[in-house]
This record gives sequence, C-alpha cells and structure tokens, in this order.
Amino acid sequence: MTEPEPVVELTGITKRFPGVVANSDVHLTVRAGEVHAVCGENGAGKSTLMKILYGMQQPDEGTISVGGQVVELRNPQDAIRAGIGMVHQHFMLADNLTVRENVLLGAEGRHGMGRKARAELTKLAERTGLHADPDTLVENLGVADRQRVEIVKVLYRGARIVILDEPTAVLVPQEVDALFETVREMRSDGYTFIFISHKLDEVRSIADEVTVIRRGTTVGTVDPATVTSRELAEMMVGSELPSPETRESTVTDRPVLRISGLRLDADDSERAVLDDVSLTVRAGEILGIAGVEGNGQTELVETVMGMRKASAGTVELASGDGELRDITRLGTLARREAGIGYIAEDRHRHGLLLRQPLWSNRILGYQTRKPVSNGRLIDPGAARRDTERVVEEYDVRTPGVEVLAGALSGGNQQKLIVGRELSGEPVLLIAAHPTRGVDVGAQALIWEQMRAARHDGLAVLLVSADLDELIGLSDTIRVMLRGRLVSEADPATVTPTELGSAMTGAGEEAA
Amino acid sequence: MERPDPTATTARRRLPGWARGALWAVVAIGVLSTASYLTDMPILTSSDTSQTALRLGLPILLAALGGLWAERAGVMNIGLEGMMILGTWGSAWGAYYGGVWVGLAAGILFGLLGGLLHAVAVVTFNVNHIVSGVAINLLGLGVAKYLATLVFEPISGNPRESPSVEKFDTYSATFLSDWLGALEDEQRVVLSDVAGLLRGLVTHVSPLAMIALLLVPASYFILWRTRFGLRLRSCGESPVAAESLGVNVYLHKYIAVAASGGFAGMGGASLVLLQGGADYLENQVNGRGYIGLAAMIFGNYRPSGLLGGAALFGYADGLQLSGGGAAVLALCYGAVLLLAIIVVLQLIRRHWWAAAGGVAGAVVLYWIYWTSDELPSDLIPYTPHFVTIIVLAVAAQRLRVPKAIGKQYRRGEDS
Repeated sequence: MTEPEPVVELTGITKRFPGVVANSDVHLTVRAGEVHAVCGENGAGKSTLMKILYGMQQPDEGTISVGGQVVELRNPQDAIRAGIGMVHQHFMLADNLTVRENVLLGAEGRHGMGRKARAELTKLAERTGLHADPDTLVENLGVADRQRVEIVKVLYRGARIVILDEPTAVLVPQEVDALFETVREMRSDGYTFIFISHKLDEVRSIADEVTVIRRGTTVGTVDPATVTSRELAEMMVGSELPSPETRESTVTDRPVLRISGLRLDADDSERAVLDDVSLTVRAGEILGIAGVEGNGQTELVETVMGMRKASAGTVELASGDGELRDITRLGTLARREAGIGYIAEDRHRHGLLLRQPLWSNRILGYQTRKPVSNGRLIDPGAARRDTERVVEEYDVRTPGVEVLAGALSGGNQQKLIVGRELSGEPVLLIAAHPTRGVDVGAQALIWEQMRAARHDGLAVLLVSADLDELIGLSDTIRVMLRGRLVSEADPATVTPTELGSAMTGAGEEAA
Repeated sequence: MERPDPTATTARRRLPGWARGALWAVVAIGVLSTASYLTDMPILTSSDTSQTALRLGLPILLAALGGLWAERAGVMNIGLEGMMILGTWGSAWGAYYGGVWVGLAAGILFGLLGGLLHAVAVVTFNVNHIVSGVAINLLGLGVAKYLATLVFEPISGNPRESPSVEKFDTYSATFLSDWLGALEDEQRVVLSDVAGLLRGLVTHVSPLAMIALLLVPASYFILWRTRFGLRLRSCGESPVAAESLGVNVYLHKYIAVAASGGFAGMGGASLVLLQGGADYLENQVNGRGYIGLAAMIFGNYRPSGLLGGAALFGYADGLQLSGGGAAVLALCYGAVLLLAIIVVLQLIRRHWWAAAGGVAGAVVLYWIYWTSDELPSDLIPYTPHFVTIIVLAVAAQRLRVPKAIGKQYRRGEDS
C-alpha cells in the first residue's frame, strides 16, 4: 500500500493579533482518507488555525495548499469551494428554521429547493445517521442530532474534508461512540476528517495521526497507536500532568446543604422538570450529579441558587453556627450572601460580563460585601486590588485587571470565576461543568483549588458531563434522569461506561 | 438501536394553517351575526361596514406586510409610521402631477427611501433599531410638513392639505354583488349577515386593494418558498450562521428593510388614493404604522395571521366610522360572546388563569354594554387603538419571534 497523498498542507502559518501571536510557524499535513487529530490546550491556537483553514481569518505568513495546489482562502465560501467544511463547536444553526432549511441555506444552488434537494438530504441524513424529520424545527432536536445536522450541512455543500471542532464536548459516551462509528464509516467512503480535541482517549481511539499544538506552534506529529495518553498530554502541556483523583476522604458528618422533596414544574405545563429531589451535601464532601444534559441538572442548580422558584420542597443551608436554615424563600443574592458560591454552567451567559474589565467582574455577586464594596457603595480601588490577588493566586493569564473579560481564553475566564467564587468564604460551592471547554492546565488548577477547598471543609455540589471528572473528584455520585435522582454510584468502583448507561436509563431494567 | 432522546418532543398533529384560518373566520362571522341579531344592530354585518373595513384595513395590512419583511430579516421597524407619512405625501404629489398610478409609484418610492435610511442607520451603522425608528417617525413627519408647505400651499392655499387628487377607479363584481345585495335585504339570520359582509368585499373594490391582498400570498411565497426568502429569514434567525454559509447578511437586510419601507409607503398611498379617503392631510396616518406593526405581531409574524390582524383593526375602524358609538357598543357585546367561547376553550385545556382572565374581561365588557347607551363620542375614534391594546395583551403570550430580532450584527463578530 502506498502512502496516500496529502490533501491539506499548512506550511509556516503565522497569525498575529494585536498583542498576541496566535500561531507561529505551524505545519500541518493531512492525508486523504484519514482522521487527523489536532490536540492542544485551550488558547494553544487550534481554533485560530482552523479558522484560517476555513477562510474565516487570513494568515499573516505561510501557505495553505489543498490537493497539491496552493490556495488562498479569503472567506468560508472559498474553503467550501476547495472542499473543506467545518462543524463548529458552537453550532451554527438557526433554531427557528427546520432541518431542511438549515441545510439548504446558502447552498440552494446545488440541488434547488424542491424534490431533488429533499432526496439528496435524505441520502446524506442516512449516511450520517440523522433520523430526524427534515421538517422539524432544529429547536426540537437534541445536541447529538444537531451535530449531525451540522455534518449534513457540510456534506451537502460537497465537502470532502471535514473539520470537527471539539465535537465530543457536548456528547455523552454513547453518543460519542455513535459519532465515531459514523466518522469511521465515512472515512472508508473516502472522507477526510480533521478532529480538534483535547480529550486524549477519544483522540487515541479515532485518529490515524495526531498533531500537537502548544503555545501557538506545532510540537510534533505522532502515531496515536504508539503513544500513551500521558505522553500526548505531556506534549500538550509541556510538563507534568494533572488527574482528577481526590486522595483521602475529608467527608464530615456535618450537613451543609439539605434538599428535600424538591419539585419544579415546567413553565408551560404541569410536567415536573424536577421531581422529588432530595440530597444532602456534608462539609468536606463533593457530591457529583451525573446525567445526560437536559435531564434537570441545570434546573436543579438554578433552583438551589434561587434563580427558579421551587414548586414544592425545601432547601436548607448551614449558617455560621452549623445550624441548617431554610433558604427556600430567599432570593439569589441573599443565598449567595448566606455562603453559596456558584460556578455557572455557561460562563458567558451567567458568570461574566464579557465587555467589562476583570475587576468589575470580580464585583459581580459580591456587590454587597467586602472587600469590593462597603455594603452601599462599590469600592473600585479595592476591587482592583482584590482582582490582582485573584489573578495572582489562581494563575489567570492576563496582561492586567483592566482587560475585558471577553479577551481572555475560556480557561482563564474560568479560573477568574473560580477564584472569585472561592474568595467569598463560601460554605457551599455549586460547580456546574467547572472545566467545560477549559484546557488541561486550567483544568488541573481548578481541580486542585476545589480539592483544597474541600479539604478546608467546603461542601461542593458538582454537576458535570465529564465522567472522568465526576468519578475522580466526587465522594458520592447521584445519577439524574428525567428530573429524578434515580441511582447512586460509588466513584471508587464505577466505570465511565457503567455511569453512562445509568445516565441514559439503560441500567434501569438491569438494576 | 433505540436511544432515548430527552429533548425530543412528540410532535402533536395540528390543524394546517388554512384550516385554522377558515375556522376563525367562521367563528368571527358567527359571533358577529349573533351579536347583530341580539343587539338589533344590522350595521355590524352590513355591506357598508365591510366595505369601509376593507378600505381602512388596507393601510394597516400594507404596514403589517412592511413589518413582516423587516422583522423577518431581524430588523425592528418602528419607523413604519414615518415611512407611511412619507408615502402619503409622495402619493399626493405624484397623483396631482401624473395621475393615480404615478401617485402610487411615488408613494412607494418615498416609503422606500425612508426604509433605506433606516437600513443605513441600523445595518451599516448599528444604530439601535428603536432609536432609528423613532428618528424616522419624527423625520417623516417633519419632512412631509416641510414639503407640504413648500409644494402644496401655493396650490391649495393650505400647508396642511394637498389639492384634491385623482382617486383609483373602483370595480364591482356586479352580478355577484346584486345577488348578495338581494340576499342581504331579505334580513335572514346568518345568511344575510354573511351576504352583507361578502358584498362589501366585492363592491367598489379598487385595483390597489386587489394588489395589496395579492401581496399577502406573494409575500408568503417569496419568504417561505424561495431561496431569497430563506436567506432573508435566516438573517432574522441567526445572522452568524447565515454569514458562515455565505449569505450576504447586510445585503439581505438592506433589501428587506427597503421593501418594508416600500410597503409602508404603499400603505400611505392607500390613505390618499382611495375613494372615500382624504387627500394628503397632516396627521392623517395617525398611528396606523404602529397598528400595522401590532397586527403583524398579533398574526405571529406570518402573512396569514397578519391578514387576520389587519381585518380586525380595519373592521373596528370601519365600524366606528359607519356606525358610531352604538355600533361600537354592539361590538362590545360581540366581544363578550367571543370571550365566552375562549373561556370554554381554556377551561377544556385546563388553563384556569386564562379562563379566569377571560371571565373578568367579559364581565367588564358586559357591564359597559349594560350600563351605557352610548360611549363617549370623544373615545369612539380610538376604537382600533383600544382593540390593538387588548388584542396584543391577549395575543402576545405565545409568539414565535425571529430569534435575532433587534440584535446588532457586525460581520465577523461572534454572537
């Protein structure tokens, strides 16, 4: 067998933004019919590189050649014409349009808008395993199906080279397997994939070759069959590695959060989004909630935070003297003041003001407390000083505290939030997906901080889609399915696969 | 293999749009004929009323279509009012010098210029949509005033009014109209009411009305069945996604907002160029742009719904004009009947609060009907405005609004 031709070659790509070099001298060679993984921490420059390859940004130096010819990609249309398609991490779908409309949009010229387009769409849906009716609104689809719509969209435009940008970040293990199955089948049909990820097990299971990027430049290209995840990770981070394992148990018998019989009705009907949820988190304990997204975890967190009003049940929180106090009727601010720290699931929507400097983000949620405020007036000077302390202690990589929060990478934004939430001396931390979309380095630091706080007696309610994280950090795991806590797992013995099947309800009959 | 999908909702079988429209039409006619029978007010369903309703509904319909085009492309167009005002002046000016068709064209052109201005502000310079819209309303008013003083005063001797201009000829389907007229005069329950309402719609109809009514299905076809329409709507739903797929978002928004202005201008022209309407008159638009916008929202951003909305407001306006306070009182009675039906529906669906609200509304309206012989005449001209407020308050509950509406969009920026 001869070595297949390279279909995509990036040589000496350099891209500078004001103040930063996002890519410097990057080399990447992708051969036809392979799955080529690009690995790196968040902020390492993977996204910029892919934006360059997809024509969304132009490189300052270097050349791109597709199929042996040097091309200039000025916009995504050029890239599509060259046969390159991209499935974005944040889906580029219009929720209020149907599946068919989303696929056809912008490519109406290829097969028209009538029967021929419908036939082509059906064929591609078959190939990618999309079973949704083409006339349903995208709004009604789950994430896995949305992702497939994105893939169909790319294929409909005739792409042979598909960039998948962190495709597994939003999927549960079973869905990941199904996706990989599809990718393998399509690879044998001659499609080429560029697979962006920082989940190394996945990379090793799917990729034929791996290129590692660190600090904006390529570290090397390796064969995933011959390296271990550890070696790969060390290439990415350039140093020793983190793991989510908590060492000794620090669980006390002092309850900090007690939820009993909590119920939440859906906005428009009497269907329960949360049904009879009861749990207790003790000081020094990390309680992990596992579950497929959309089964009520978000609502649980928001109800405990007071952002939604419970229909029934009580939420109690330990006050200073250790006595449990009913906080069911308190508002969000009062709950925060009572000692709840909150790492929101979507930091752009809930945790940060992207267009505000770091120091004013430090004030958010603490506007009534020292040191950033004296109760009535905000103290910007103190806020700046305290933000500098957070930046220092939590290793937030930023030129200064006057920088807008939106200018930081995801990992650094998250470190800032973690630092802020742990600075208010909370008794309880609610962490919803604390390391989602965060690079390995920041992940390690966040885990370390959570562990340290747990050691000091903090109670943590952890919701995560990353099963390794759940198993590694938690002292107890509860599984949530359709708004109920259905089962319990011991993190010391459970495997991600078992947990995954409990999450989809497959384990229910077995148990 | 079956995978449980927590987010998939079971799609309920729903009535197709046309069937629901027909159902509502039947309910409306039923309510009106019952009300006219019980209150002894034949004017509720007379051909005069429906004819006036058609004439008065037209500007609202056209404004609503304008709103539809702009809002579907993600641009809020509060400026419809100002664009309509520009349209009234333009059409009077055009009609005075070149006849009705030139007047219509000039009205559309003036509205379109207003639309383009809105597009420049909102799309290119990212001005807040409401601010720009309000500015255009003020500007439209001022420009029309200025131009009227400049151009019309020397001819008509009055800066607030144009000289009288040519009007559209009207056409009747004579045979049908006569037959329906005979039926109406027989005064048979329901049958005569239906005949009266229909007769108004086929008698003395202007070409402008026909064009406007045709524009409704045409808009549906263009926006929902063509490539251009899909692209235009995608700009209102997710401009970032659209841009990533090679849709020129700026261009489509420009076209949509300009077309929106054109429709509004046409709406203005329909105030000037129809028989029975005034010539250009200062303040003659009188909030119809906003009412059109309300009709469009009431119609859930869909052409068929907006037609219903425009018919409702046109009818309310036509009734108060041809029947006065007594007729409006009778309409209150009709509204009580309609609310009764809605309450029953809500009870079946177990929406207790909505049902209670309906009962409260019905009680208030019935009390008004029972205690007063005639409504204060100062309030009568504002009937359509009251209807707007009430209907919007009720209808605004379950709307499917274009997702990216009113959002500022800059090429190359995420979210």
